[in-house]
Amino acid sequence: MAQFLQTVVSGLALGSIYGSLALALVLIYKATEVINFAQGEMAMFTTYISWALITHHGMSYWPAFFVTLLIAFAGGIGLQTVVVRPLARASVLTVVMATIALLVILNGAAAWIWSPQLQFYPSPFPTSSWVIGGVHISKQDAGTFGVVAACVVVLALFFRFTKLGLAMRAGALNPAAARLMGVRTSLLLALGWGFAAVLGAVSGMMVAPTFFLTPNMMQAVLIYAFAAAVLGGLESPVGAVTGGVLLGVMLNLITQYVTFVTPDLQLPVALGILLVVLLIRPSGLLGRAVVRRV
Amino acid sequence: MKKTFLLIAAALAVSAVIVVTAGATSSATPGVTAKSILLEGTFPLSGPASGYAPIPVGMAAYFSYVNAHGGVNGRKIDFRYEDDGYNPANTVQITHKFVEQDHAFALVGGLGTEPQQAVRDYLNQNKVPQLFVSTGATTFDRDFTTNPWTLGWQPDYEAEGSIYGKYIAKNFPTAKLGILFQDDDYGNDYLRGLKAGLTQQHLPQIIDAEGYALSGNPPATQVAKLKASGADIFLIFATPTPTIQAYVISTKLGWHPAHIFTNSVSATDAFLTIAKKSGSDNTDGTITVNYLLDPANPLYNKTPGMKAYRAIMAKYAPKANANDGLNIYGVAKAWTTVQVLTAAGKNLTRAGLMKAARNMNFTVKAKKANPYTLPGVDVRTKGNYQFPIAQVQLVQYQNNTFKPISKLINGRGA
Amino acid sequence: MRRVTALVSFGVLVTAVVLAPTFFTHYRLFQLALVAVYLVALLGLDILTGFTGQISLGHGAFMGVGAYTTTILVVDHGWNDLLTIPVAGVVAGLFGLAFGLPATRFAGPYLALATFAIPLSFIGLLKRFPHFTGGGIGKNLPQLHSELGLHMNPSVWFYAVCWMIALVMLPLAFGIVRGRFGRALRAVRDSEIASTANGVSTATIKSAAFGISAFYCGVAGGLYAIGITYVNPDTFPIDLSILLLTGIVLGGAGSLYGMVFGALFVEFIRISWGPTILNGISRVHHLDTHAPGSGLVVYGLILLVVLYLAPAGAAGVVRRLMTGRSTVAGWSKPRSTTPSDPATGVEAP
Repeated sequence: MAQFLQTVVSGLALGSIYGSLALALVLIYKATEVINFAQGEMAMFTTYISWALITHHGMSYWPAFFVTLLIAFAGGIGLQTVVVRPLARASVLTVVMATIALLVILNGAAAWIWSPQLQFYPSPFPTSSWVIGGVHISKQDAGTFGVVAACVVVLALFFRFTKLGLAMRAGALNPAAARLMGVRTSLLLALGWGFAAVLGAVSGMMVAPTFFLTPNMMQAVLIYAFAAAVLGGLESPVGAVTGGVLLGVMLNLITQYVTFVTPDLQLPVALGILLVVLLIRPSGLLGRAVVRRV
Repeated sequence: MKKTFLLIAAALAVSAVIVVTAGATSSATPGVTAKSILLEGTFPLSGPASGYAPIPVGMAAYFSYVNAHGGVNGRKIDFRYEDDGYNPANTVQITHKFVEQDHAFALVGGLGTEPQQAVRDYLNQNKVPQLFVSTGATTFDRDFTTNPWTLGWQPDYEAEGSIYGKYIAKNFPTAKLGILFQDDDYGNDYLRGLKAGLTQQHLPQIIDAEGYALSGNPPATQVAKLKASGADIFLIFATPTPTIQAYVISTKLGWHPAHIFTNSVSATDAFLTIAKKSGSDNTDGTITVNYLLDPANPLYNKTPGMKAYRAIMAKYAPKANANDGLNIYGVAKAWTTVQVLTAAGKNLTRAGLMKAARNMNFTVKAKKANPYTLPGVDVRTKGNYQFPIAQVQLVQYQNNTFKPISKLINGRGA
Repeated sequence: MRRVTALVSFGVLVTAVVLAPTFFTHYRLFQLALVAVYLVALLGLDILTGFTGQISLGHGAFMGVGAYTTTILVVDHGWNDLLTIPVAGVVAGLFGLAFGLPATRFAGPYLALATFAIPLSFIGLLKRFPHFTGGGIGKNLPQLHSELGLHMNPSVWFYAVCWMIALVMLPLAFGIVRGRFGRALRAVRDSEIASTANGVSTATIKSAAFGISAFYCGVAGGLYAIGITYVNPDTFPIDLSILLLTGIVLGGAGSLYGMVFGALFVEFIRISWGPTILNGISRVHHLDTHAPGSGLVVYGLILLVVLYLAPAGAAGVVRRLMTGRSTVAGWSKPRSTTPSDPATGVEAP
């Protein structure tokens, strides 16, 4: 039983990380109908910035954390303006390709600027654990979970109770109508990228103490974040986080208890389950059901 | 109908042109002029394996140093390297370019088991030396009869594993072993070596071995299983990132095995420091092996090799982080290359180079030991013995640095 | 008119292919042979993505299935390598069909992300069953050698084989996208709802398109294995699938001749152009051209610049030069002018 709970607990921490990046994906998808393949590398790059602030500029953790969030916000808006907006009239496929180009550039640039060597990244939380009934709950994992949860709550409040949040929701739901109502949709799209970049930065800075900082740190996370976003429904922020947590726990349980599933089969099995879910619910667990008007 | 006709015409024309253009190659030694020798190699400068990028930097620095001091038998070494991103399909194409377009004299230091495996047949068929590949896979040393143009350099993974096995059988004959290994040829080479070293008698000491996949998550469940198995010696045969993760996870789980053995690729000062900073209290006491001077270890600061290394790096690769052991790996490998080129003589041929590489005697006894390896390490090949470096020293991590705990041991029993 | 253009284009391509060996070195011919390999793969993917409107991020894995089929037949069963090519195509095609049948239920981005799972799972499966696939260390094939009693340079032989196959597969692709079946494909792309209403079974059409595209990729994969003479999981990374999609976009989705440009880009960008440009820059600015990551930055920037200059790919540029108009069918339709179905992301007609 302790072993089972241990597996679940470590899955929760991992899952919250998937969930936060999945949430960033969903934000951009809802605003622009584009899957942002550069989301993981944006997160990685901003994490490097925070690392440079801490290591080379002598900042302590939390100031660096918040400065990085600001930089990420500006960076997200900047990328949308410079890279994505000029392609506003191109096809979805072309825009997706531009985000892939961005992925490649950011990955290369990080290695170029900061070297591809593995770097130590500090965690704001202690490494010690609480022991409850034989289950070790690491304070670091609990902290990660808490930070991600706080982000989700802040974001939800923002969209629910602020004018800007409402405008963004309207812009995503029906761009043409929103434009007619006097909402500046192009600004909203840029803001959407800004918020996604902030979320990505959070997940990057939470990943780094466990995965360690390298230019490829987020690539595996991005794949699971994709899966989490699809599992929860690409349209649903709550679904993205739920999907992430479910995936994290499920993966850990499978590795622990199904002996046929060697580590190499972990990913295929997870994706297989995902496909089955999609077959039953083509728009994910919490996505709106698609009514095919036929 | 028209299309079919076009097709047949095209096919005929293609074949006709081909027959006309098939030409002969020149007989002079490719890549060697009166003034220069062209050496080339593929390395991952992008992607997940790009952490190894300092190796060619160290090699290039040493070749520049040699060139500034007159070169090899009056010829300057022109060393070029390109990025294959650790994708064998890229390695194959770039290697074709090295051989057919650039006419490299030899390929030196090419990195990675799989990428080098992918081009081995091609290079052997074209009789191009594939020297000192940067991998410890046993096949590059052992299978020299089928691949006469290929040779490794560093101690092989299997031999390293067997040294751990022998040490454990002798010093901890009743301990229970739990192993975390990368579930591929790299990890399995170590595992095989370990079992051979333990011998049949001590094999039951292994009570659990957990594999993980390179692309996967941190090995949290695996380490938890190993802890639950009751093992008191933890062996980690992994690449750097999962190794550091294993240290941190074991601490988080409150597991403090009596001894930890970690393979040499991952147990460097840099990686263990990261593990320690990340909160692991398990790094002290880690046992691994070493065969090179370690620039991060003050123990070797006074040796002539380390002084020469620092001077070369400062002058020819000033931007590089000279404390990274991968640079000295590159320098030590380039030193060996220069020795072999010198031994191959003024009248340089590919066959002559291979002959020199198959009969290396850069040993303490011959007063020609590699200054960048640990004192006493020989670089030696002869006849059926083609494991250039086989001696290693067991070292233990204490107070942020490694201390030798054994004499040099030859992992190949020779 | 269109028929004449098509025939002239084909003639130009064939002439270029025939004349190339007189101008290029053996190494360049080896690269151009791989261009033919990528061309075959891109033709297949274009039938699915450009003509049927289904984005796939997984077709590198179907190349992998073809490559492993060829490898296992040649290495473990002693087949002649050329004879394995059709088998490689069929096996990959069956895999494609098997994936396409359920996948037809997924729309737009869900499908794209579902296809992302194919190469990832493929790599895991290869490693899980090493006795069959060779595991992580993979399998070596025999070195390139000319066959049929000819004594050619191996690279030239490979060039001839690849282009002969590509020049069969290209007209075949034209045959597929023209005619009734082709109209059905485009109907699914342009409006799934309308085509269903008109009695076209979208599920059947989509899975058929999946099967055909995978068949093309399988043929390409078989050739790839013969040329690279080695397969292992690292040879078919997710990057390969993305690279194929890049080729489609840069060639011009929905144009078959555009794929020739796409294939040239795919082959030369990383191996040749990137390093050349970097070396050029280093002469001016003394940059360290071997700095890790620098190659990726250059590659990404080139990709981005090309996307801006030619958002509809090479085919879009050609069409603009020839007609003076920039309107291109299908995928290149401006997004913001047509309201789209918010749930599926599928554009309204």
